[in-house]
Amino acid sequence: MNESAIHQSLLAAGIAGVGDLDESSKDPTIEVQPEALVETMTWLRDDAGCAMEMLHLVTAVEREDRMDLVYHLSSLAKHHSITVRVSVARPEGDVEFVPEVPSVASVFSSADWHEREQWDLLGVRFAGHPDHRRILLPEEWIGHPLRKDYVYPSEHGGIPLELDAVPIYEKAPAGEAAERVSEPRPAGAPLTQPPSEPSHRPHAGGKAPDKTKDQS
Amino acid sequence: MEALEMYTTDDRSDVYTEELKLNLGPQHPSTHGVLRVELKMDGEVITQSRCDIGYLHRCAEKIGENVSYLQFTPYTDRMDYLASMNNNLAWSLTVEKMLDLEVPERAQWLRMICCELNRIASHLIAFGTYGIDIGANTPFFYAFRDREKIMALLERPSGTRMLYNYIQPGGLRRDVDDNWVDDVLTFCGEFEKAWVEYNTLLSHNRIFIGRTANIGIIPREMALDFGLSGPVLRASGVKWDLRRDVPYLAPYDEVDFEVPIGEGTYGTLGDCWDRYWVRMREMMESIRIIRQGCAKLPGGEVMTKKQKSMYKTPMKPGPGHAYMRCENPRGELGFYVVSEGGASPIRNRTRAPSFCNLAVLDQLLPGTMLGDAVAIIGSLDIVLGEVDR
Amino acid sequence: MNLLIELFAGLGLEGAWPLTFAYAVCIGSLLGFVTVYAMFAIWMERKVAAHIQMRYGPMETGAFHGWAQSLADALKLLFKEDLLPTRANAFLFWIAPAVVFCGVFAGMIVIPFAAGIQIVDLDLGIFFIIAISSVEVVGVIMAGWASNSKYSLFGAVREAAQVVSYELPAATALLAPILIVGSFKLGDFNAYQAEHGWLILANPLMPIAALCYFISSLAGCKRAPFDLPEAESELVSGFHTEYSGMRFSFFFLEEYVSMFVVSLLMASLFFGGTTLPFDLGGFGNWTEWARAETLGAAASLANATPEAIAAAARARTEAGPFADIGNLIGAHAGLAILILKTFFFIFVQMWLRWTLPRLRVDQVMTVGYKYLLPWGLFAVMGTAAWEVLV
Repeated sequence: MNESAIHQSLLAAGIAGVGDLDESSKDPTIEVQPEALVETMTWLRDDAGCAMEMLHLVTAVEREDRMDLVYHLSSLAKHHSITVRVSVARPEGDVEFVPEVPSVASVFSSADWHEREQWDLLGVRFAGHPDHRRILLPEEWIGHPLRKDYVYPSEHGGIPLELDAVPIYEKAPAGEAAERVSEPRPAGAPLTQPPSEPSHRPHAGGKAPDKTKDQS
Repeated sequence: MEALEMYTTDDRSDVYTEELKLNLGPQHPSTHGVLRVELKMDGEVITQSRCDIGYLHRCAEKIGENVSYLQFTPYTDRMDYLASMNNNLAWSLTVEKMLDLEVPERAQWLRMICCELNRIASHLIAFGTYGIDIGANTPFFYAFRDREKIMALLERPSGTRMLYNYIQPGGLRRDVDDNWVDDVLTFCGEFEKAWVEYNTLLSHNRIFIGRTANIGIIPREMALDFGLSGPVLRASGVKWDLRRDVPYLAPYDEVDFEVPIGEGTYGTLGDCWDRYWVRMREMMESIRIIRQGCAKLPGGEVMTKKQKSMYKTPMKPGPGHAYMRCENPRGELGFYVVSEGGASPIRNRTRAPSFCNLAVLDQLLPGTMLGDAVAIIGSLDIVLGEVDR
Repeated sequence: MNLLIELFAGLGLEGAWPLTFAYAVCIGSLLGFVTVYAMFAIWMERKVAAHIQMRYGPMETGAFHGWAQSLADALKLLFKEDLLPTRANAFLFWIAPAVVFCGVFAGMIVIPFAAGIQIVDLDLGIFFIIAISSVEVVGVIMAGWASNSKYSLFGAVREAAQVVSYELPAATALLAPILIVGSFKLGDFNAYQAEHGWLILANPLMPIAALCYFISSLAGCKRAPFDLPEAESELVSGFHTEYSGMRFSFFFLEEYVSMFVVSLLMASLFFGGTTLPFDLGGFGNWTEWARAETLGAAASLANATPEAIAAAARARTEAGPFADIGNLIGAHAGLAILILKTFFFIFVQMWLRWTLPRLRVDQVMTVGYKYLLPWGLFAVMGTAAWEVLV
């Protein structure tokens, strides 16, 4: 079945909260309300016509006004696949945005680790997840690095983190050309910048760092 | 009588035993990278296991949001560093889908040949290191002898032995030299003989079968539920290969090849031996594909001038999203890209097969012994570079 | 050894001094032999492994195929830093390699290298070797426990289970040749086989006993496919993970010495020892001289039986006109034959290590108790029945 046929049969199933089929991009996507997510996933898996046995990917996409959760499902028996999207709007005001979405780990076990990763990197909470912990980063890490407003920590576990990263292209508004914001490396220049402070390792012969100095 | 009762084997609650907490990794000869598995053991038997990953996390997804589409190609090499061509292909196909790029025919066929060569190289490593995990140190050297030939072959067009960065959005970076196809066919002939050697040495060895048959059985339902893919899925009896079922590269439709699945030959369907044997047979199927590809290779260019000129300015697909998946040696590699029209995507997500395959480990390990744990991890054939990205 | 005692007594030393000096010379020369042998065996292992894996192995150190590689490695190990893990039991950690090495080394004092070249000829030769070699288990457990590392502990516990279990089929299989020859003394095996041919051909069950002993001894030496205690891919290095430098080399020495002892027992007990059953020809008939010398040495011992003396006289006659210098050449020829056979079995052990994968611990136990032990018992009882009925 193609995506619109899947969408039609999903609508016919009568689950409240199933939205439209977004066909604006290469992969047609079914919009679903967060409350209807688990039921929709269960129906897609169990229905004989759709028979989506596999959940491939759970991705959280942070947009300016919302957080999208995108689920990619496919059926091995029927040779078709579908994308499902859930959106959580960003609240007004300067409030910490922790979107919450029901977990589908009870429907597809593959969602377990994917949801843990999205919690880890983007701070999306999954209600009902069996093991809601960080997966890639250490447990004591603060912040969710893939957020657009993520601030890199200045030190971790006592090790100072210097970031001399120079962005090459600046994100341009839609439709405009990107500008190069840094100069290309001149011929003959060294590939790495020398550290701005002497090495802190005791055997290297450098001085011990002055711990009172601000290391941001 | 009380003293005697304490030592009967049935009533173990009177015998004081402690559970041992053992860390398998992150530094360990057999975890195929920096993987840590926390094990709780009762003697030699594992009672509970917890995977701890992230030791090789290199922020590829964050980098993907900050560099352009073309610049991300070398980063894809480094995810599954043993199957770089396949990674490059998956990324290039995603970008081509977003941008509606046409790829010349010769480039498509060469892509297929290079990917299949890399598949053989990757499976050779899986085979060799699996032998070491089980204790047979010799097959590793035989496997690497053949892998050297593949790396030399792939070095000629791409310039490097690993991490090729050769398959680019739009085609290939450069064409192969004149003798390349003949040398590839020579290699195919040599490999077919070597494959027989590998089987004599390891595959049907009684001790190897004793270590891998009936170990780490993944039933079909569990495989589908956990989203497994690649040889791990096929060994559980599911005939699903993206090259055949979701054709992503046109030449695959024009070549003849089998998709080997597990049959429970020596033990149960879906055990470690089946996964190993699926990989072995896939190597021979890849040789078939390569031979046919070399025979049907069309002439022409490998990258159109229009696309080459596109490299001077950054590629900017329109707003939207796309998910493209390919059959990596380890399973289904997918890239999900969300674009808002800029030079870099706003979200660049990799669906790594090893990440998904590894999730099943915590279900497989309890009840097995330490030696089996090593055999199971080896049979899943993970690469930590793509587990952690 | 008696010769040496007489030598020192003749030099004018009295009391316990001749004995002490004699022992010192014997043990010293044995230690020297063991060290040189171990270096050669390690070089041989590396070359055998390399050629099985289609590569060359050591080629650089020393002009001919890297013969000096082991020497260089030994020097390097001597200079390495001596580490002790934190919270490790220092005394046990220190003494474990010594216990392990001494246990196996002590087994070498009863081994007859050739007629007359034997430190002590105990009545309980084989029994003593089997018993004293089990002391190394204690050393290994000490090493695993004292290292304060779970991986070492795993290796030690597996070792204890495996080596102790495999002593049963090994000793049982050895009972078969002992039954036929009728004594535990190793010199008697050489003499018997010089006269009656190789013991492995004595009756159809002897090959079973030989195979059973060989496999059990592989497990006792912790060689592949039973190398669980030091399973590199699971336990990093098993019970000797935390050891470095000279302490580690003691474990290594112990492995190779026990390989030597086991191969020598195989060669002596089943495959003829210092004699060959056929005449190789060449200059004179040196194989006959080896036979004669063996029998002559047996006959010259205080409690030689009349049959042995008669057999010795017969052998001397058969040896021909050059029998006088034949004694000396015969002794050396016997030694050479024995050493060649021993090294053949060591080569087979290495060959197996680099070809076969490793068994899991419960499979090791299964093979030992459910297969080898019954076969060993069957071989012994069959041999006993054969001796009585045939």
